[in-house]
Amino acid sequence: MSGKMCSGSNSIIQAQKLVDQLQIEAGMERFKISLTAADLVQYCQEHRRSDPLLTGISASSNPFKDKKTCVLL
Amino acid sequence: MRSPPIPEMATQEVQLNETLAHLKTESDTLKTKLEEERAKLHDVELHQVAEKVEALGQFVMKTRRTLKGHGNKVLCMDWCKDKRRIVSSSQDGKVIVWDAFTTNKEHAVTMPCTWVMACAYAPSGCAVACGGLDNKCSVYPLSLDKNENLAAKKKSVAMHTNYLSACCFTNSDMQILTSSGDGTCALWDVESGQLLQSFHGHAADVLCLDLAPSETANTFVSGGCDKKANVWDMRSGQCIQSFETHESDINSVRYYPSGDAFASGSDDATCRLYDLRADREVAIYSKESIIFGVSSVDFSLSGRLLFGGYNDYTINVWDVLKGTRVSILFGHENRVSTLRVSPDGTAFCTGSWDHTLRIWA
Repeated sequence: MSGKMCSGSNSIIQAQKLVDQLQIEAGMERFKISLTAADLVQYCQEHRRSDPLLTGISASSNPFKDKKTCVLL
Repeated sequence: MRSPPIPEMATQEVQLNETLAHLKTESDTLKTKLEEERAKLHDVELHQVAEKVEALGQFVMKTRRTLKGHGNKVLCMDWCKDKRRIVSSSQDGKVIVWDAFTTNKEHAVTMPCTWVMACAYAPSGCAVACGGLDNKCSVYPLSLDKNENLAAKKKSVAMHTNYLSACCFTNSDMQILTSSGDGTCALWDVESGQLLQSFHGHAADVLCLDLAPSETANTFVSGGCDKKANVWDMRSGQCIQSFETHESDINSVRYYPSGDAFASGSDDATCRLYDLRADREVAIYSKESIIFGVSSVDFSLSGRLLFGGYNDYTINVWDVLKGTRVSILFGHENRVSTLRVSPDGTAFCTGSWDHTLRIWA
């Protein structure tokens, strides 16, 4: 087989792979954004109290924040 | 004078071209169908669904620790599950393990190559993995004896044919997932160095990856220079979903904590959110004033905040649901190259081309 035929059959293999891949993706079950986005929002809301960067936990509970020292007068 | 082609070969060539043309039509039809299917589900925007959610207040986040010690650009970092240790890697060829509370260096390894572009902490906390221009991913067990030469126990695990861009242990110390400039991702057995699965589909360098959060999910997402983010089935090696809306290289991908979505950061100066069940992009985080690329992204624990490290030296903090920027953080004196939120969400760490790492809270 000439070089041209070899690269030709490679192109076919790649093109077939692309078609196979697209068929897999096309066959996927999808849901409306109004439903899926509601789940994303719900997850945020359910976990907001346990998100230290969101709630801004105090220095006493955050090991990275320096605790203020007490001065005895 | 060229001799005329043999009739047999001429017919074969015609058949080849016909087959190719037929396959091209088929793939074009499928692509159009995919776009139509995705568009049907686009009944509302994320920020509209989030209208009733309370707006976020002012954020005060500052640098709480600065880790100094690398001699050149910091390229990557990862947190240990103990929420205080950090591993970082640099263009200077060094991999350093730090105690982020005290800023002390606990271990240091010099790699045989410069540009150590990837590093990861093992789930047990007993080892770190790293690699870069050496095209490999190596695992170093961390010794309790500070004097022990870590390099002596080094184990070469992954071998790619181009640079290692990212690595990540799976649920145990036993397996590592890698991505490479050779356009592939791969899953390896740490003990034997055996290739367990390879993932082909990107058309150019793969720059980043992230493992799905659930212990039962067997998927991961990767992003590359082909502007695509691909979701893969780890067992079959199959690409199950693909997203191509960015306008340039995707430098970072990170799953939303529920595992139902993922964010990406790109050289096109935007971060985007992709919903896996709607199979489409659902938000873009951008501003006209932001023109430099995003190198790395990560979510806060609840998924409400998205932190982005940028090439203009800043960190932008985004309200994931409403799509607005809530804060911009200054401090680094060069590009932010890597960013991760700590395992318990109390802080996040950034690494920069200014040779330092910073802990923010």
